[in-house]
Amino acid sequence: MIPLATKSGPLPSPFTPEQQQRFDERFEQAVAKYPSERRRAALLPVLHLAQDELGWLPDAALAYVGFRLDVPPVRVREVATFYTMYRLRPVGRQHLGVCNSISCWVMGSEEILKQCEQKLGIRPGEMTADGQFSLEEVACLAACGAAPALLVNNFGYVDNLTAQKVEELIDRLAKEPGKPMAVVAAPDGK
Amino acid sequence: MPDPIKILTANWDKPDGWTLDVYKKSGGYQALAKALKMKPQAIVDEVVKANLRGRGGAGFPTGMKWNFVRKETSFPKYLVVNADEGEPGTFKDRETLLRSPHLFVEGLIIGCFALDCHLTYVYCRGEFRDGPVARAQQAIEEAYANGFLGKNILGTGYDLDIHVVPGAGAYICGEETGLLESLEGRKGYPRLKPPFPANAGGGLWKQPTAVNNVETLANIPVIIEKGGDWFTSVGLVPKNGGTRLYAVSGHVKKPGVHEAPMGITFTRLLEDYCGGMREGSTLKAIIPGGSSSAILTAAEADWASDFDTLKAKKTMAGSGGVVYLDQSVNMARALANVMRFYAHESCGQCTPCREGTAWLSRLCDKIVAGKGDKQDVDNVHQIARQMEQKTICALADGAAMPAKSYIEKFRADFDALVRG
Repeated sequence: MIPLATKSGPLPSPFTPEQQQRFDERFEQAVAKYPSERRRAALLPVLHLAQDELGWLPDAALAYVGFRLDVPPVRVREVATFYTMYRLRPVGRQHLGVCNSISCWVMGSEEILKQCEQKLGIRPGEMTADGQFSLEEVACLAACGAAPALLVNNFGYVDNLTAQKVEELIDRLAKEPGKPMAVVAAPDGK
Repeated sequence: MPDPIKILTANWDKPDGWTLDVYKKSGGYQALAKALKMKPQAIVDEVVKANLRGRGGAGFPTGMKWNFVRKETSFPKYLVVNADEGEPGTFKDRETLLRSPHLFVEGLIIGCFALDCHLTYVYCRGEFRDGPVARAQQAIEEAYANGFLGKNILGTGYDLDIHVVPGAGAYICGEETGLLESLEGRKGYPRLKPPFPANAGGGLWKQPTAVNNVETLANIPVIIEKGGDWFTSVGLVPKNGGTRLYAVSGHVKKPGVHEAPMGITFTRLLEDYCGGMREGSTLKAIIPGGSSSAILTAAEADWASDFDTLKAKKTMAGSGGVVYLDQSVNMARALANVMRFYAHESCGQCTPCREGTAWLSRLCDKIVAGKGDKQDVDNVHQIARQMEQKTICALADGAAMPAKSYIEKFRADFDALVRG
């Protein structure tokens, strides 16, 4: 049987001191929501907190979150790979998720996606060379009444999309700093 | 059209309608004061009498679910809120949290009191963080500040804490046991039932747990205020009480969330609430309750939209996400879109679903690409039939229902794309 090590001693933090302070504060709030013997339940929220700081979840962040919550590494990876909002490789500082579910699709989401691809010069799953933009297809955002819709950086809804609105949105996002993007090599070095 | 009854949307169009001030001015939190003076069982009895059916999709009688939890002798008990709205075509919980969060919070507090629950979690889909979750969180903080939450609520000695926790992007976590797994910090693999969540061994941390939808709970205050009999009388069909938040999208003039009596026909919903189809659009098909439901033809638009009628018609009222489609939509292409969603969202735990949804998606893509033949269409139908009732949760059935019905009702759209 393969031993599932839960503790490998204090692990190096992936955060800068400033990030660490913010993370620690929010970590305590997240864990406080559960009975003390159930603190491992905070795994999803705490992964979000780490990603908020780094922009994605490098291996070092997964290991560190597991260490802080006393969750085996295999369980952390299982969760981080199961849920689509966690990024296991860097995405752009402005990450666009174009909804392609049925309500958006009948309202022209394919055109919206094509426009994003052409304007950014990338396909879904790719990132621009300067790291400013990345693109993916998502479904369903629960914005069907104002379809088509897209999501900026996991949390920002933009709906009732038209060609003009997409044009203006991308022009605006190109000038804004966007979310953090920690520079750490992805597992396969890419 | 009769005067619209507004239970859930009464404050939606008022300025600052989501705030505590506006909510209290319209009678907010009076139901809570009344409920806290009632016996918990009397509250559940009233909800039973109201014929309130779960608004998440299954339409299970809420009062019956609560009675299951009340009968359990194991403590603590939990009420967990399912705010993981993700069924394609559905967006009413997002609107509820944004536009009347206090109505939901008040209903939740009453529900927890009825179940003798002192700790509750609202599991919201991760993408809601900056909008609906922020609103709900603000409402919860206001409720704490005004003595509606926390220790000794309204001086009655009842204690309750509410925590909002995020999901992270997984449709399957809208399934109640997938949700509980996720809430416990794991991937959202649905659990084998029994034991059901309401029973000891099946719920949150194996304790008896009621999992209720946001809209379901938002109905509780009015049931306490006006009584179960009144609530039942609002519904147009027996055993289907109250109004429903129909989340309408597609080729209609006025898409959006429309509150209408439970059981309204799809024709009346379209004409009286949505302004009819858009200029140049003719109704071709209706998705009656989220993308998992079997499709309706235009000729079936006069069906009532309640849980029991649609179940008898071999489809379902589901989540209340209604999509009206016009003549421009080829239903084979629409099915390819829907199948892609289920293939992506199948959690992979059960083989018939993991393999089946992927096969359905590949075959539909082949048909849409013009590379399929009639046998491929038949195969889609057959694979869908073989997936039904063979898996731990209903996702496979939710993929099979559209696959079968789109082909049965719109075969010509498929044949137009295939060879020979």
